[in-house]
Amino acid sequence: MHRRVPVARRNLLADGRSLVAGVLGVGLALMLVLLLDGLWQGVQRQATAYPDRVGADLFVTQPGIRDFLGETSSIPRSTVQTVRDTRGVDWADPVRGQFVVFDLHTKKVAAYVIGSEPGGRGGPWAMADGRRPRRDDEIVVDRALAQRHGLGIGDRLGIGGSTLRIVGLADASAPMTGFVFMAHATADELFRTPDTTSFVLVGTDRPLVVRGRLERQGLSVLSADEVAANDRRLYTDIFGSPLKVMVTVAFVTGALVVALSVYASVIARRREYGIIKAIGASGWTIAGMVVRQTLALSVIGLGVGAVLFLGARALLASLRPQFSVVLTTSGLVRALAAAILMGLIASVVPVRRVAAADPATVYRGT
Amino acid sequence: MRAVPLARHNLFQDRRRAALSVSGLAVALLLVLVLNGIFAGAIRQVTAYLRNAPADVVISQRGVRTMHMSASALPGDALRAARRVRGVAGADAIRYTSATLHGREGSQLAYVIGYDVRTDRGGPWNLVSGHTPRTGEIVVDEVAADNLGVRIGGPVEVLGRQFTVAGISRGGTSITNTTAFLPTADFAAIRGPALSYVLVRAERGTSPRVLAARLERQIPGVTVQTKEEFVHEEGSIVRDMSADLMQIMSFIAFLIALAVIALTLFTATLAKLREYAVVKALGASAWRLGRTVVAQAVWSVGLALVLAVVLAFLVGAALAAFTPNVRVAIEPSSVTRTALAAVAAGAVGALVPLRRVIRLDPATAFKR
Repeated sequence: MHRRVPVARRNLLADGRSLVAGVLGVGLALMLVLLLDGLWQGVQRQATAYPDRVGADLFVTQPGIRDFLGETSSIPRSTVQTVRDTRGVDWADPVRGQFVVFDLHTKKVAAYVIGSEPGGRGGPWAMADGRRPRRDDEIVVDRALAQRHGLGIGDRLGIGGSTLRIVGLADASAPMTGFVFMAHATADELFRTPDTTSFVLVGTDRPLVVRGRLERQGLSVLSADEVAANDRRLYTDIFGSPLKVMVTVAFVTGALVVALSVYASVIARRREYGIIKAIGASGWTIAGMVVRQTLALSVIGLGVGAVLFLGARALLASLRPQFSVVLTTSGLVRALAAAILMGLIASVVPVRRVAAADPATVYRGT
Repeated sequence: MRAVPLARHNLFQDRRRAALSVSGLAVALLLVLVLNGIFAGAIRQVTAYLRNAPADVVISQRGVRTMHMSASALPGDALRAARRVRGVAGADAIRYTSATLHGREGSQLAYVIGYDVRTDRGGPWNLVSGHTPRTGEIVVDEVAADNLGVRIGGPVEVLGRQFTVAGISRGGTSITNTTAFLPTADFAAIRGPALSYVLVRAERGTSPRVLAARLERQIPGVTVQTKEEFVHEEGSIVRDMSADLMQIMSFIAFLIALAVIALTLFTATLAKLREYAVVKALGASAWRLGRTVVAQAVWSVGLALVLAVVLAFLVGAALAAFTPNVRVAIEPSSVTRTALAAVAAGAVGALVPLRRVIRLDPATAFKR
């Protein structure tokens, strides 16, 4: 009976400790690829959280302002009434938006302040605990920011010379920073910007028609989708290049670990490969064995990487809640493609070593 | 008698394996060095305007200690009040906001600074071509000009108004944004009269620290810092915001480095187990063999660190060429920290093979 010998598998499993070190190395590199991808997806979701969740169809902005998070918009407060008086507008509320940096436990903390009318739209869209601000000295912070800095309801925060009391925690998070919600009047006082607002949020059943009417009155209007797309582009422009570099380095690391692991295994078994060659196996057959070994190591590494990723994501969620890590199908497919590519690239050096092996090795001592 | 450098021989006998292991270790360290470098570069870029501003002391709204991600609105008479304080040689106000510059070929987030073009203080510190902006004109950074596809005389839209590029400056673009300069009157016409910061020059012989304290006592509703303090606070934003991310990446890179070094030393030791037994049979102590394994770790880590630093500079140069807004600054402190982490990874990675060698039976040498 003719039975095939699974040389690649046997070689791979021959030395448990080497296998563990190799699989861990590849797994860590692939975990990093998955983690960076997940962080990136999370940043993109967080970047568009406000326009996605606040429930407005249109944003009236200062002319030239095209995103929510990046720029500081300033329009006269009287714009709110102009918008409310426009036919087809169901509701319109002013919102002040501005980044702020404050000191907490001797560290700089950046947060995006959102000032909205008490009882109006534009404030926290979902509360995790407590209530929305009613008075001028009250604020709501997002749950991730609170968790990260050990803040709770009743605590006080010093922002821009004012001391404000936390009355609620919002179920929201901003990319690498945080949201602080307060009354519009509080934000006006904080930023010394009376009689102005940043945006007017508009709710309507007919956004296209209403947008046309508002623009004919000389107002600058963006749809919620446009604001979200521009915010996403803003973050892509900032973090895109460094992220690509990090993913490339992680990929190269993984490929080198696979190559090193399989190469060491090939060297340890060069005599066996000599025997296989001596009994007539072609160079292609032997190369195929090595490629199978590198691919198997990469795929096992991906499995380990996925498990490590899930652990790291859970750890991050509890220790560093400001980072949102999102696993997507496309992210998994990219990681699988990276693992296969790693295996193929990593096979080059060991394949060359085996191809150069002399069948006469068989007759030498070890 | 000449000692045989067993560690080096074992490690480098197979050059391909040595190259793979040193490279694997180097790229794991590269991960930390590049990320560190990106943040260090960002700190330098973010503080560039203030470091070059003609000021010994900076006045801002009370409670506001930074420009980056901040807004400051000073009391109306802050500039005049500052000029009256003893020890002040001169004071200049700037207006400031974040906005997007829109050009023919793209757009870029910018810190827009309105300054007094008559005194020319508080404006671009390195104007490489063109002239100080007049009404309706703007100075943009050369990196932004490339991204926007504009030259001197070209149009740039900012804050809903069109400006003509009067000059090109250098060194004002960071990973997050660029810097653009307008005449302060144009800025006020769009965003209102409030001043954002006052840049104060101290008289000769007056300590900036003493002057800052005096200004804060005499002008209500403001925070006053020396330029050095302000620059430090500004850098702290990037430092503190990136600290968590750096810790995560460094820890993962450390684990990868650990796996690589463990793999290298374990396979190198296993392949030479018989030779180790021979050396032991010839009378070498277990500790002598242990030192060999440790020496291999030191060699691997040392070479990998050198390679990682070289690669980090190359990656930095490549990034600067393709994305000029990203600067990678490889600082000695970062290299030192990475080296210490690599040594720690080497020490831990050497433990398993070390145990194997120390417990090795010299009789193994005579087995076939």
